[in-house]
Amino acid sequence: MHFFPHFHLHLNSIALFGITLLLGLIGGEIAGRTRFLPRILGYIAIGFLAGPGGFNFVDQSVLTNARIFVDISLSLILFDLGRHLDFVWLRHDRGLLPMALTESLLTLLCTFVVLHFLIALPKMLSLLAGVIAMTTSPAVVMMVAHDLSSEGPVTRRTLILTSLNNLFGLLLFTLLLPLTQTVNFPGFILFIPAVYRLCGSLILGLSIFVLLKLIAHFIGKQKDNQFILFVGAVTLTLGLARVLDLSSMLTLFILGVAARNFDSNHALMEVDFGWLARLFFILLFVVTGVQLQLQGLRYAPLAVILFILARLFSKTSGVLLFAKASRLTRQQAYALSLTLCPMAGVAMGMSYLVVDFNSDFGQQILHIMTGAIALLTLIGPILTQFAFVKTGEALAIDGDEGALR
Amino acid sequence: MSNLPPFKPNPSLTVGVELELQLINLQDFNLAMEAEDYLRRLSEVPHPGEVKPEITRAMVELNSSIHISYKSLLAELRHLRDIVAEEARKTHIGICGGGTHPFQKWKYQRIFQTERFASISEQYGYLAKQFTVFGQHIHIGCPNGNDALYLCHAFVRYLPQFVALAAASPFSQGVDTAFDCSRLAVVNAFPLSGTPPWLQEWDEFEAYYERMIELGIIQSLKDFYWDIRPKPEFGTVELRICDTPLTVEKAAELAAYAQMLASWLLTERPPLSRDLYLSYLMNRFRAARYGLEGVVVDPIQHEHRPLAEDILLTCDLLKSHATALNSSDALFFIREAVHERKNGANWLRKNYASLQSLSDTVRAQTELWMRQDEKG
Repeated sequence: MHFFPHFHLHLNSIALFGITLLLGLIGGEIAGRTRFLPRILGYIAIGFLAGPGGFNFVDQSVLTNARIFVDISLSLILFDLGRHLDFVWLRHDRGLLPMALTESLLTLLCTFVVLHFLIALPKMLSLLAGVIAMTTSPAVVMMVAHDLSSEGPVTRRTLILTSLNNLFGLLLFTLLLPLTQTVNFPGFILFIPAVYRLCGSLILGLSIFVLLKLIAHFIGKQKDNQFILFVGAVTLTLGLARVLDLSSMLTLFILGVAARNFDSNHALMEVDFGWLARLFFILLFVVTGVQLQLQGLRYAPLAVILFILARLFSKTSGVLLFAKASRLTRQQAYALSLTLCPMAGVAMGMSYLVVDFNSDFGQQILHIMTGAIALLTLIGPILTQFAFVKTGEALAIDGDEGALR
Repeated sequence: MSNLPPFKPNPSLTVGVELELQLINLQDFNLAMEAEDYLRRLSEVPHPGEVKPEITRAMVELNSSIHISYKSLLAELRHLRDIVAEEARKTHIGICGGGTHPFQKWKYQRIFQTERFASISEQYGYLAKQFTVFGQHIHIGCPNGNDALYLCHAFVRYLPQFVALAAASPFSQGVDTAFDCSRLAVVNAFPLSGTPPWLQEWDEFEAYYERMIELGIIQSLKDFYWDIRPKPEFGTVELRICDTPLTVEKAAELAAYAQMLASWLLTERPPLSRDLYLSYLMNRFRAARYGLEGVVVDPIQHEHRPLAEDILLTCDLLKSHATALNSSDALFFIREAVHERKNGANWLRKNYASLQSLSDTVRAQTELWMRQDEKG
């Protein structure tokens, strides 16, 4: 009977990966049918239940196998986020850039004050946590908007403000990260890697943009071809940024910004990543769920709550201060404040980078950040959905408005 | 007491226009669901005329004031265009003309929530969302109801000229329709589209209107989606057949052409014949399909004639009226467009041929409508 394949009693990681994806899909559908929970909460919940925090049948090998998909998902999201940063809009709406700067810097300041002065964390650590707090999760915002077919002034402003606060966050993070090294180098030497990473990311992002344009001219305006062109360029950028030890997140973001603003003869088309993005999004959120760590809530609940409140206060104040300049209604301004709440994968990635960079330094921050991110990963999508529905920009959740009668 | 408002006499041949315009997302150049927010912003800025919502949330309607001359209408439309364009820029959306959006999908459109639009949506189902098409309406002042009805019938002979001159909807739902004006096919789907009944006295029209109300077929005159209809509360006839042109300059020229034609018709009073309706639908179709290259049937003279030649002959008739109405420039531009066989559809096709992308074509269309220069 040697011709029968040898069966393993435990599933291999590829099968587990498939199961995770299928369960994520089912989880999303269950959440969607509740009418008030965003689908992504279903993906995250399934990931959490399957991971170490739940039944623990998804182990590290699955995460390792999924890593490439997750990295590509995040890369596509950051590229897309860069494409939402339109300089022409910033020039015409004089309230938008000050609003983004204020909400970002207030967030940095308030979370720094909470962590450094109230919780007594070291200065540099608190500063880095503040920088991470500036960023809104682009994946959550994009996915909720996409799921609800949300379209309108608040949705568009959510995306450009998310784009701007991620830009500020990525720039400061890239600059400050090398300073966390405990080795006693003179300050200017510590800045060399920061300058290398910043300038290198900028040069690489712009170089790939030039390449993108050249190929776009060659292949012409075929949506299918340009879809492959974008995915190819994004993965190439990711790979090269890693080889050159640059900030892959910043490089991809710069590539997106260049594609939006410097494509003077419009050689690049507006490509929707469609089903590919959806597949990646589900994976991304299931994996986010697997990685979700709630220990922070147990070890440092006060710090987590204060951190979240400071962040919410800062983002709301920043938006409200410039709502009049941007001619937003009060309802739009409050909705915008809520949509800027989510934190998820990018913030998680940044927190782990801090730990990778300096393991002595990072463990304290990790508890607080993972706890806060976990809460905001769960609450953020609900608040975002609530805001889009309340402003009338989302289709009715049961789809009535879009249905044919 | 009639349900129909009394016809408000209009001693002079006034002219005014309504333009249904597209709101454009400047990222992907699809339609933008921004009407509500945009209209709120615009209401905070002083401007002439009116800007109102339309059936779906990516449309607005721009109304001029009432004018005596082409020049004052043109000046106001340019001023209004500059204001609405500036407000659009501030909130980062585009505005453009054209009878259809080249690639929007009607199923994704959303009804603007007013009682009337909700009722239309309820009554017509998917047709309400398909009605995301964009037309220019031209109001011409009339002395009385009888003259308004006379003009409604007399204009039928010339409406195909307006279709061809204004045609700016060659693309629909992502494809080249082979029509210069594909918008009219959407209007045709409505049961109350077409032309007014063959009635020439205002009393008869009132009786007809009462009967339609009694039968529960209509609730107001607005329910008739005719190509031309009287508007008693304004004291006008309203031509509703044109696509929204790609520029406000073209919109003013078409309005002036209608005004000159009305002046000529009311002066010369060519006799009405029901035979005009024998060829009307075919002529309308050919004008929509072939634009200025179409051939129309004249049922009175029993001949087939190229539409371009028909317009040029009409222009010859209108010379003295153009001078009297101070609209000679408009007549010149109409002639020029016919000689060069230029309408919005040709412009859009030419741009698509060079840009190779419908979204880039909408970009060009948006830049054309929003630009602030002297001649579009």
